[in-house]
Amino acid sequence: MSRVSKHNKVMSVKEAVEKFVFDGAIIGMGGQNVSRCAVSIAHEIIRQGKRGLVLTGCNLSIHMDLMVGAGLVRKCELGLAGLGRFGATYQFKRAIEEGRLEAEDFDHLTMVSRFLAGEMGIPFIPVRGLMGSDILKYQGPSTGKKFEVIDNPWNRGERIVLVPAMQPDVSIVHVQKADEIGNTIIQGIASHEPELIRASNTTIVSCEEIVSTSFFRSHSDYTTIPYHYIDAVIEQPFGAYPTSTYGYYTFDADHIGSYQEYARAGGEEYMKYMDEYVYGCKTFSDFLEKSGGIKKLNQLRKEMLRLM
Amino acid sequence: MEKRYSEDYTREELMSIEASRFIKSTDTVILGTGLPLVAAIFAQKTHAPGVNFVVESGSIDPILPSAPFTVADPAIGHMAVKTGSLRDVLGCLVQRGLVDIGFLGGAEIDQFGNINSTCIGDPRRPKVRLPGSGGANCIASCVPKILVITRHERRRFPSRVQFITSPGYIDGPDGRQKAGLKMTKPEIIVVTDLCAMEIDRSTGTLRVTKLMPGITVGQVYENTGFKPAVSEHVGAVEPPTEEEIRILREEVDPKRIYLKVSPTAI
Repeated sequence: MSRVSKHNKVMSVKEAVEKFVFDGAIIGMGGQNVSRCAVSIAHEIIRQGKRGLVLTGCNLSIHMDLMVGAGLVRKCELGLAGLGRFGATYQFKRAIEEGRLEAEDFDHLTMVSRFLAGEMGIPFIPVRGLMGSDILKYQGPSTGKKFEVIDNPWNRGERIVLVPAMQPDVSIVHVQKADEIGNTIIQGIASHEPELIRASNTTIVSCEEIVSTSFFRSHSDYTTIPYHYIDAVIEQPFGAYPTSTYGYYTFDADHIGSYQEYARAGGEEYMKYMDEYVYGCKTFSDFLEKSGGIKKLNQLRKEMLRLM
Repeated sequence: MEKRYSEDYTREELMSIEASRFIKSTDTVILGTGLPLVAAIFAQKTHAPGVNFVVESGSIDPILPSAPFTVADPAIGHMAVKTGSLRDVLGCLVQRGLVDIGFLGGAEIDQFGNINSTCIGDPRRPKVRLPGSGGANCIASCVPKILVITRHERRRFPSRVQFITSPGYIDGPDGRQKAGLKMTKPEIIVVTDLCAMEIDRSTGTLRVTKLMPGITVGQVYENTGFKPAVSEHVGAVEPPTEEEIRILREEVDPKRIYLKVSPTAI
């Protein structure tokens, strides 16, 4: 069945990762910083031990750091890696400093433009930035041609940078609402995800709640991405925890802060976190339970409702 | 009414207020996390009520009652006229040329106003990996007025940055033009705890224009890895008034997320 067909795409995260994520895949990472990171899908990829991965996105955050920390990632192609006020993504930082991870740096607009080219099926796209920066001077050993500078054919003498389209093998994105055939709603800030999802050859979405297709048909202007681009739908409330999902819950500063301590310490200390919270959890619900359960989640939900 | 100057303020507070003075009521400002958020919200609550904010992750003209935790905080979309995407903001506003002021920060800024937020050491195997560009390169390339707020330390102000993440004037007055950037002569303003510096367009280098209260040019030299020119009419940064400090503490950053007495991470 083709992804564009209207079949029921609801499955478990285990099934979705088995089916669509493979060793060596280029994975498009939804979410950013403390917002809507696809943590439940990242956990499952780690449990299944998919290897040699390339992660791509704009602001690669805690879900990237977890996958790097698990030793599954070969390369990141990114705009930025970090957790803002919570500090660096320490596993990423350490892996690069120790020569275990390749980074291909672009900037946010360049990455989103590459996804934009990817989603429109064109091979490359111009961007105004990058010129004069060292982003154009260096590139990772496994990157082919990183960019080209051309003379604008319609305005001779104006130089402009071209960057190649990016079409990830599979993207992992957490959203607020989806229906069972894959129509998707992102509420609040959408970051790079509209372009990312349509650029990807397959996309797994986890959502806070599955709603009916008739809801979409009667509110079609709410649809962020129609079903044609979605291959798997997972219903996972709190699926972005410990990051936030706008309209549903805020981020858990305590858990992220604690993760940062383990990630910064590295080595055996870090493995304690992984054993406890990822490998030691059969499902994402186990993880939520271990992280404070209903009491904590209610508190994060209340905090979000207060914001709205 | 006579101005009552505050005698109890921190360096971070004055840096934020001084940076805010460069923001006008008609400006569209792209926000960044940290003191830039404080400076921008302060400007909106005081002398620039009409200023409008955009945030790279997609929030367009939010109303921010106080400083959110990060620019990815769910609160960053509060009362926005549109919560859109990164392309909406960095593409259709910044690259399109519709943003007046951008805030940047980094580990290093050099005499030409180039900023490094990528790495220290050989980029192929860096000694210290930093977060990377994010929206910074695009903002540095396309926005006509760049504001930087940073602590003034020698290691933060080398003569040349180790990696140009965000171009200033690159290597001289025509550096940007030679590199092919369309925005050839942006203003670059750097506010530190010692002074304010601005790019001199004729040399493409930073020049000290104002000193913080009680600070000498000698102290600036001591803490800078290059020898900045000093404006002939170097002035003093106006200290904050009691009312400004009250607004900053009670309204802009009541949770003291950014304005602690301890060093501020920028």
